[in-house]
Amino acid sequence: MTLRPGSLTFLIIAITACAAPNLSYAQAVPKVVTVYIDSVMAADTNEGTDPKLAPMGQKLRGLFGFSTYSLVMHNEGQTDCGKMIAFTLPGGKILHVQPRAVDGDMIAMEIVLFDGTRPMMTTDLKLRNNGTLIVGGPRYERGMMIISIGASTGGSHPMQAQVGTPAQANTR
Amino acid sequence: MAECGEISMMLGAFEDSELEPNEMQEVAFHLARCESCTSILADYSTIGRDLRSIAAEPSLAGFSSAVIARIDRLPQPMLTRIKRFLGRQVDSVGAGIAWGGAAVAVAIMTIVMITPYADQFANRGPQSTAIAKAERAAAQAANQAADAAASEPTMADNDSHADISRLESENHSVAVWSEPRRDTTVIWLPDQP
Repeated sequence: MTLRPGSLTFLIIAITACAAPNLSYAQAVPKVVTVYIDSVMAADTNEGTDPKLAPMGQKLRGLFGFSTYSLVMHNEGQTDCGKMIAFTLPGGKILHVQPRAVDGDMIAMEIVLFDGTRPMMTTDLKLRNNGTLIVGGPRYERGMMIISIGASTGGSHPMQAQVGTPAQANTR
Repeated sequence: MAECGEISMMLGAFEDSELEPNEMQEVAFHLARCESCTSILADYSTIGRDLRSIAAEPSLAGFSSAVIARIDRLPQPMLTRIKRFLGRQVDSVGAGIAWGGAAVAVAIMTIVMITPYADQFANRGPQSTAIAKAERAAAQAANQAADAAASEPTMADNDSHADISRLESENHSVAVWSEPRRDTTVIWLPDQP
């Protein structure tokens, strides 16, 4: 089969026109998810709220009845949907976060919390864009560990702690 | 009037019609009156016919293509060679490019459709939405059953900031609640004694 140059050009334009809507849709869907992790120590030692926690400290005070909230570590990292990102947290905890898909304003993800090598909790959830999931309870130093997990498809997370340099995260 | 000696020198050329018009006329005028020269011309004609019948004519098969190929091998200006090359490529490779382009386009569309974007299309269907709701309801029922055995109360709220479809833990005292006013869902994992 032979095609003249005119027919060839028409064929390529036609195929490109058919594929363009799909490509433009694919480009419109965000793939990169930024994950924010704040590790907070909560205790009843009457030391108040760490200024670095603002504005998350106010939320923590509303959720729990502790008198002390101290930011221990802040981590954040970016990963693609389907790609797991790992965070090393205080107290020998390890957090694996794997965004699965972005569906409208919701981010589907799997979260696994390890205590060393032992999985403590595994959950699948859909988190609203810029939303927060709090995992708490494990003992840590004088109180308990509260882990705030935020995810965003855009820029900065509104509830993230006010810290300088973000800690390193490992992705695989 | 020309002598036979002069005319006989021109008879071969006359036979082949190679003389000038005035010479042709002169020879013809002489032949009309000279039997000797006419006889010699007849011999020329006979010899010519015999020679043509004996000689084998070379075959002309492939002659044209050989000549064209030889012309092509002659040194050509660069621009001409480029034009000829492109012309041949368009003619012979055009179909290949078309099929290749079509294959690439199909591959791109396939990649787009089998990636998570396709799941998003699929999940918008009413049937899949119903299945997803049923799965969430089953998960919530399972969570509630597990919570009944737990020591701490648990509350799941579909309108919370997070929609939990699966929660596994070795800790039987896991508590889940949401704070719609604070757009937060909490999973509480107290250390087991």
